[in-house]
Amino acid sequence: MNRPSQSNYTREAIKGIASTTLQTNLRSFQERLGQGAMRMWVELADPEKRRRVKASRMRTLDHLDIILASLAEKVRARGGRVYFAETAQDASDYILAVARKNQVKRVVKGKSMTSIEIGVDPVLEAAGIEVVETDLGEYIVQLAGEPPSHIIAPCIHLDRRQIGRLFADQLGIDYSEDPPTLTRAARHALREKLLSAEMGLTGCNLACAETGQISLVSNEGNIRMATTMPPVHVAVMGMERVVATMAEHRETLQLLTRGAVLQKISTYVSFVGGPADTPGETREFHLVIVDNGRSKILADPEFREVLACIRCGACLNICPVYGKIGGHAYASAYCGPIGAVVSPLLEGINKHADLCKGETLCGACKEVCPVENDLPRMLSALRHKLAYGSDQWDTRQMNPAEAFAFRLWRHLVTRPALYRAGLRLAALLQRPFIGKNRMISRMVGPAAGWTDSRDLPPIARQSFAARWRQKHPPTPDVAKKTAENSGEEKV
Amino acid sequence: MNSEEKFFATVRTALGQAADGERPAKLFPQLFASPDPRPALARIAARGPAELAELAETLLAAATENRITTYQVSSLAEAEAVVVELVRQTDPEFSHTRHLLCHDHPDIAGLRLWQRFSRESVAVHTSFSQDQQLREKTIAACIGITAPEIAIAETATLVEISGPGRPRSTSLVPSIHVALLRSEKLVADLEEAYALLGQRQQLDSFVFVTGPSKTADIEATLVHGAHGPCELHIILLSEPTLPGDTAHSAQPAESAKQREDTPESTAPPEAG
Ligand code: SF4
Repeated sequence: MNRPSQSNYTREAIKGIASTTLQTNLRSFQERLGQGAMRMWVELADPEKRRRVKASRMRTLDHLDIILASLAEKVRARGGRVYFAETAQDASDYILAVARKNQVKRVVKGKSMTSIEIGVDPVLEAAGIEVVETDLGEYIVQLAGEPPSHIIAPCIHLDRRQIGRLFADQLGIDYSEDPPTLTRAARHALREKLLSAEMGLTGCNLACAETGQISLVSNEGNIRMATTMPPVHVAVMGMERVVATMAEHRETLQLLTRGAVLQKISTYVSFVGGPADTPGETREFHLVIVDNGRSKILADPEFREVLACIRCGACLNICPVYGKIGGHAYASAYCGPIGAVVSPLLEGINKHADLCKGETLCGACKEVCPVENDLPRMLSALRHKLAYGSDQWDTRQMNPAEAFAFRLWRHLVTRPALYRAGLRLAALLQRPFIGKNRMISRMVGPAAGWTDSRDLPPIARQSFAARWRQKHPPTPDVAKKTAENSGEEKV
Repeated sequence: MNSEEKFFATVRTALGQAADGERPAKLFPQLFASPDPRPALARIAARGPAELAELAETLLAAATENRITTYQVSSLAEAEAVVVELVRQTDPEFSHTRHLLCHDHPDIAGLRLWQRFSRESVAVHTSFSQDQQLREKTIAACIGITAPEIAIAETATLVEISGPGRPRSTSLVPSIHVALLRSEKLVADLEEAYALLGQRQQLDSFVFVTGPSKTADIEATLVHGAHGPCELHIILLSEPTLPGDTAHSAQPAESAKQREDTPESTAPPEAG
């Protein structure tokens, strides 16, 4: 997984906007799923369910040590192994060690964002192990050598002709752009991989501490294959992806599949927690529970809420910014509004500075989120850290000049006399910049960036306040009050 | 401190607890408290034939929505006819011979499929837990037959609970999955299904199956038959109630014991 620097955000966003395939696919996807989810929450028979699940998610986070300890104990009782990984490196090392011990030559993967986050694929590949994505969309982007661009629709940026050409080149089949034909080709190619791999590597949608199982949601059946047919199954989960009880599991699951694709339930929901009891099926189960920066999020009351996320992808389906720029601009395992909050927290706020600032804060993601995560609030908090710096988050102030300018501005606007004088001065100074269209199209110095892609209306000859006073001459009462309030002006 | 202790110390510190202050789950019973399942269990237990028939209707309607083929039968003999017809129509996807793989379950044994196909080139296998060739048989099979313990009417969801003789792969690897479902196994919704699952002492791995496998990854076009079965058939068996029938027992039916009553099923010859 390449991890581009921050300027990539803009570059990838421009690419996304220029891609007609992406634009068409995202538009129809968002219209169907995003709008659909909004309507569905309104019509939900039990409107309290979202609040209940959110409360249980937060309760779990507040007691995460207890719940993870129970989970580990129960999984071990089932004959599974549990490994707690503090860092991405620890997790990858462990998985590689398991692979080596079992002489694994081929790993089949079920869609797992955490595995991308910890960067285990390159580690396995460097050890000479073949890593095959088995979710159809993930398989396609893997063949294309690209990162996925949507949580549940990884190849949303490709059209059927591109996929047809890719399959003709890489699978040696006749060119076709018929989705059923392409799907069948992948089914046969991947079945062979799924049945011959020595290790299945999956994520975990929700683990349940009470039963010591992880549950995985899929429609294709690849995840069931990867958790059943290879002799070894390794599941990687972020440490927050756990619920305490089956009762909580049920309600959370119901929100997950509804938020993701408006389904009451997905085709498969599998619960596994140990080796299978049949010869020829999985005989070894490992659960890798990953911190990798989550404890830092957990420790900050401002951001703890983001760990309540159940990774349904609904916020991607409603976000007007994601809907235009697509997933690649987010440059991390997680894209869309959730990615804009979680990636900076996991990987560094400065590193993802542009990403933190790319959203409109319209609030749609919060409304559509099954657990009503307040992503806009957290985005603002991230921007605050960028504006003023934060030791806790190891964030340096992004733009001291800008911060200084705003302090100056605050000084100015709280002193009306000074402010008015400034306005008059600015009105004078702006003259040479006003174009024929009565707009300022080009500014100089640090302000130039602002006018690169838009015009600025000039400062009016007469201020709003002045016009107001003209139209509504103050009654003696108000005049007195105004005079009192703006005492400074008289000085 | 080993890496696991360190991991927990970090989490506890993040939560404002003492790093070494292990909090035993026993002291936080409210964390693991669940709403009382008894009302749901009572609802299930109180259902008579009329209510079950209603649930069957719901299941059949939901099945159509989820691209599931359904058959209603009132005896094992009828169920057998359905399976035989299906097998005869099936073109194996991954092998030349038609292989059938059946869960080790008295109802499926009761179909006596190996007798029916003794004169045809159809191989009938049962997933006995000691069978070391089971994997090969599973991979060769074009049809896998199961008898789910629970099914959810609202969404036409089968709950396949695995265990000895009931491997996970039977409902997954063959191209076609056939579920022989007794109508007494029906529950109304997910809540009731979870209530029943919660009653089991040792919860093996299980899977909710709703329809054949599918994908919409290429331009959001829905295609059935991704990596799991291309087709799902539910044979809904509503027999006139037999004495001693229990619909939802807390523990899985003891197949070994029941097999004694159906001696033919202990060693089905495998016709080739
Ligand atoms: S933030 Fe909410 S909407 Fe977005 S992925 Fe997480 S749970 Fe879904």
